[in-house]
Amino acid sequence: MLGALVALLYPIPFERSGQIYYETVGFLVLLNAMLGIGWNIIGGWAGQFDFGPSIFFAIGAYTAALLTINLGWNAWLALLGAMVVSAAICAAVTYPVTKLRGHYFAIATVAMWMIAQPIGATWPLINGSQGLFIPVATGGGFVHGVLTMEFPGRGKGLGFYYLSLALFTITLLAARAIERSKWGFYFRAVRDDQDGAEAIGIDSRLYKVIARCLMAVVFAAGGTLYGFWALAVFPDQVLEVNWNILPMMAAVVGGLGRLWGPVLGAVVLIPISQLMATTLGTGPLAGRGIDLIIYGAIIMVIAGWRPNGLLSLPWSEWAARLRGHASASGKA
Amino acid sequence: MAPLLQVERSTKRFGGLIANRDVSLAIEPGEIVGLIGPNGAGKTTLFNCISGALHPDEGRIVLDGADITHARPERVCRLGIARTWQVVRSFGRMTVLENVICGAFRRTSRVAAARARALELLAFTGLAGKEHVVAAALTLADKKRLEITRALATSPRLLLLDEAMSGLTPFETTAAVELVRRIHGELRLAICVVEHVMEVVMPLSHRVVVLDHGEKLTEGPPAEVARDERVITAYLGDRYRGRA
Repeated sequence: MLGALVALLYPIPFERSGQIYYETVGFLVLLNAMLGIGWNIIGGWAGQFDFGPSIFFAIGAYTAALLTINLGWNAWLALLGAMVVSAAICAAVTYPVTKLRGHYFAIATVAMWMIAQPIGATWPLINGSQGLFIPVATGGGFVHGVLTMEFPGRGKGLGFYYLSLALFTITLLAARAIERSKWGFYFRAVRDDQDGAEAIGIDSRLYKVIARCLMAVVFAAGGTLYGFWALAVFPDQVLEVNWNILPMMAAVVGGLGRLWGPVLGAVVLIPISQLMATTLGTGPLAGRGIDLIIYGAIIMVIAGWRPNGLLSLPWSEWAARLRGHASASGKA
Repeated sequence: MAPLLQVERSTKRFGGLIANRDVSLAIEPGEIVGLIGPNGAGKTTLFNCISGALHPDEGRIVLDGADITHARPERVCRLGIARTWQVVRSFGRMTVLENVICGAFRRTSRVAAARARALELLAFTGLAGKEHVVAAALTLADKKRLEITRALATSPRLLLLDEAMSGLTPFETTAAVELVRRIHGELRLAICVVEHVMEVVMPLSHRVVVLDHGEKLTEGPPAEVARDERVITAYLGDRYRGRA
């Protein structure tokens, strides 16, 4: 409840003071939280580590851009199109590798990502390494912006914050529904013991494909949003290794296989990374990677201190104690 | 009446090793069959071939008219065979209830219905009260019991129990035998048990099949098999002579 209120009101002070940068940080937190929830479906529930999810981020960004530029589709229609294309491609490339287990599956996903990079850099349809440009809108107010994902001028930071909040919320609710459904049970069964799962009639290959396609759909939505935010899609940007790693790290640091794990992870990790980049990454120390070294050290400390993720901390106990204090002081 | 399960001359090789050679076996509906033999006789290999975890190199396996020789495990399960494993394969990070719900989805896709059926079966197998325990935290006896419950949740016609009673204390073994009897009596299933403990298999089984070096040595009612010289030499040992 409180979290929802904070998320809704977060950008207001920055909008007033004109510090748009903090709205963008919020946008990145929500985007990575959403991607983390998507990655958690295959990595946390189905237990198959996917090291190349950025392929579907890229497919989403490119598909939406092509549909908008060439066919003049509305951004939201393009988003749906991107999700469908991404899921279809994911199903086709994933089914053959679902025969692989554990590390071998993970290696196959890395290989796919490596194959995707030269394709992205050279394929004429997507303009190779020169990328695609999404035309900038020239007018229209905030509502028009929300309907088209195009915000000319100053409303952009606020607009994309709320767009990402909307997509994040939909992803979270969808993931919660899936977790409680037959699929959610089957994913975890395949994770805990694949032979045991097959022996009670679960087609493990099918459910690995379903889990990865669900992840692909989330990444396609994220990629679309990112494309409209950046107004351009470049292969080295959408296939950037961070789109593989950050969502996964958010899930692992926050709590692997738990619905809110990646959300907590993104809320903790992304602001630290931004803070490091804007403080230690600039000025006399710029370009030496000091910010990245310290960022890496922070992650190692968190991971070593709480190997089961930050969600494994006794949050409910702390909350109960806080409440106890509050009522005690209220009486006094 | 045609048998429920028919294994016809099944042969399975692992490289040069012949784990099963020309093994034939039939199980009638509602029958309890004991599968015995020394270590390495090919009992688990035969189970794996029947349940689809492995496929025989030669021969045929037919379940109620359907050829399942090369069927994958999930299809074999759908056709009505459920199994447990010698090394337990419970879903360690899920609760007892969630484990059984996974099995119950075989008959329904609705979570509420699967849950109701799982609770019913947990009460039947004596795991009531442990529904919300994480499976990895159970004792071995309870893990084996959970695996049987999960298998039952798929509504099988034939239940394959691979050493469901090995490694248990005498008290736990008695309880497990009691459970198998109740499953047979109340659910009217055909059951095939692989077991080393003769005191368990002999009184439980209607019929005993003896494997040795991958081949079927003999089969018949427990009392007859226990008197068979070849079985005594290959497996039971002189200690068992005259006891049955």
